[in-house]
Amino acid sequence: MMHGPAGPSNTVETTAPVLGIGAVGKRFGATRVLQDFTLDVAEGEIVTLLGPSGCGKTTLLRCVAGFWEADGGTIEIDGQDIVDVPVNRRPVGVVFQSYALFPHLTVARNVGYALRMRNKPRAEVAQRVASVLETVSLTGFENRYPSQLSGGQQQRVAIARVLVMEPRVLLLDEPFNALDAKLRGAMQVELRQLIKRLGLTSIFVTHDQEEALTMSDRIAVMSGGKIEQVASPDEIFDRPATAYVADFIGVSNFLETEVETGHVRLPDGQTVMTDLTGGVKVMTRPHNLRLGPPEAGPWKGTVSFHRNVGPLIEYHVEASDGNVIRVSAMRQERDCPVKDRSQVSLSVIDPASCSVYPG
Amino acid sequence: MAEAAIHRRITPPGFGEQVADALLSGRGIWPAVPAIVVLTVVAVIPFAILLSLGFSDFEMSRGAIISQTFSFSHLTNALTDPLYWITFQRSMNLALSTTALCLLFGYPVAYLFLTGGPWTKRLILVLTIAPLLTSGIVRTYAWLVILGGRGVLNSALLQAGLIDQALRIMNTHWAVLIGMVQIHLPVMILPLIAVMSRHDSRLVEASENLGASRIGTLRTVILPLSVPGIGTGSALVFTLTYTTFVVPQILGGGNYLNAATMIYEQVVFSLEWSKGSVSSLILMVTCLMVLVAIALLTNHFTKWTKGHDA
Repeated sequence: MMHGPAGPSNTVETTAPVLGIGAVGKRFGATRVLQDFTLDVAEGEIVTLLGPSGCGKTTLLRCVAGFWEADGGTIEIDGQDIVDVPVNRRPVGVVFQSYALFPHLTVARNVGYALRMRNKPRAEVAQRVASVLETVSLTGFENRYPSQLSGGQQQRVAIARVLVMEPRVLLLDEPFNALDAKLRGAMQVELRQLIKRLGLTSIFVTHDQEEALTMSDRIAVMSGGKIEQVASPDEIFDRPATAYVADFIGVSNFLETEVETGHVRLPDGQTVMTDLTGGVKVMTRPHNLRLGPPEAGPWKGTVSFHRNVGPLIEYHVEASDGNVIRVSAMRQERDCPVKDRSQVSLSVIDPASCSVYPG
Repeated sequence: MAEAAIHRRITPPGFGEQVADALLSGRGIWPAVPAIVVLTVVAVIPFAILLSLGFSDFEMSRGAIISQTFSFSHLTNALTDPLYWITFQRSMNLALSTTALCLLFGYPVAYLFLTGGPWTKRLILVLTIAPLLTSGIVRTYAWLVILGGRGVLNSALLQAGLIDQALRIMNTHWAVLIGMVQIHLPVMILPLIAVMSRHDSRLVEASENLGASRIGTLRTVILPLSVPGIGTGSALVFTLTYTTFVVPQILGGGNYLNAATMIYEQVVFSLEWSKGSVSSLILMVTCLMVLVAIALLTNHFTKWTKGHDA
């Protein structure tokens, strides 16, 4: 399969999007933090904004929430422009990075806050708080203060506090940052299942690719205030549209080469079809490479480092041209024990899974 | 290699180092000893002597006490004398109203500091701290110029045609109150700012996101979280104003008698040390009572900070 540099490919939705962001820009002084940002989010969809810090993902979230004003463009919810709607009237719920729970209010009063601010009758508040606390499995914690809860419980309070007002759009700003690694993994699965069960349309902001791959229906990879690619997690991982996306998501090996009439030749002799011409970069994932004995192929190298990463073994192979190629193999597939400094040959398992980018 | 090993041998600390370590370890009261010694000599002992004079009848001859007998008479005299009641009431009224006014004027400034941009913050800090760099006496005399019969305020009002004859502000309760509020406002604002900026600014955003209006956020988030600042600021302003001496003396003229000026007159002019002693005691006890009340109120409204072990 061949791949040109696809631009941001926004999937055309069959139904009207719940959240429509059109050509939103934002600058701080001379810095353009968001440029011409366009994204539609469908009913019940979780879209992740993924990118390094400073790529504009949090800025966009804050513009949608209304904390900051966008410089131009439209932000629509159910077809209605909300740009001029004040923060406290937008049908948007934000789960903050540090949760921003009110330290002086108990769990029940934190969760009931949105309803009290809307002057709901006391009985209704009590009933809806109880029901939403049950949803996030925090029944029995009503009278605790946030400081008396664990990180995971605090996060669930933060989510319950937003859920209780039944927002049209849920915005999550790196909600797992404050949790330790093990809890983070469990909460990711739990939160995705909860959002899916409730059918909430969500935007999730993170710089952690694993989190993005776990949580999302679609991922928007951002760089410099623009979207590089929007696609499903599989598509992003297997067929990254640009070299930037390939480099940002997962581990990638780039091989610089020249196009020969419609195809490029890999160092191991196999070919990959392409529409491009001139100098190109061919990208292959570490799991698409195989090590063999040195006499097995023309692409030779020396193992400079290896480590066990759980079920995987990761090799760094220094090729004859000086490039360090990363190769991974399942642990039980270790047919020949490869030691550091040993001579090996490299081969691509499936050339069709390589991506070709302009050089 | 062996030589290097010898040089790296672990050596026990010397005696001086041990003493310094013990002093700075934070265990025991050793680091506070110098302060305790000084305070004992210059404050505790003189105050104990003064108290003993308040609870005894004594005779003096040539500047020395020749006989001293225990007595409650000075205290009972003070407590039954309406002049004391009026004076302490006036002091209390002045202190409480100054504290309330400082809170009323200071809180919005602290709120502005919380919500404002970096330049607003800087401006507020400069304007709050700058007055503290000049002496209270200088600032008090400045009010003489402004509030006097032919002062800035009266001239302006007369020229604008708002009044026919100069207002008599100087040497009244109002002059004292105005001066007190101006001088003590920074003491209220600074603790408020310190406490309010300690909290995550996202709390305000969260509140708005959950549907609260600005007023709602102020009432349900900012105000309850700033209670410790209100408590500290009020305690400071109250203590300073309840025992104040300079401002009533200058702006109130000679005829504004409050607790501190009364003690000054008893000790310095009429040389009735027993009366001065008893007045000081009443001043201190009543001041402590108000401080305890402020502390209890602050605790009541910050119960959430104490539940960590539940």
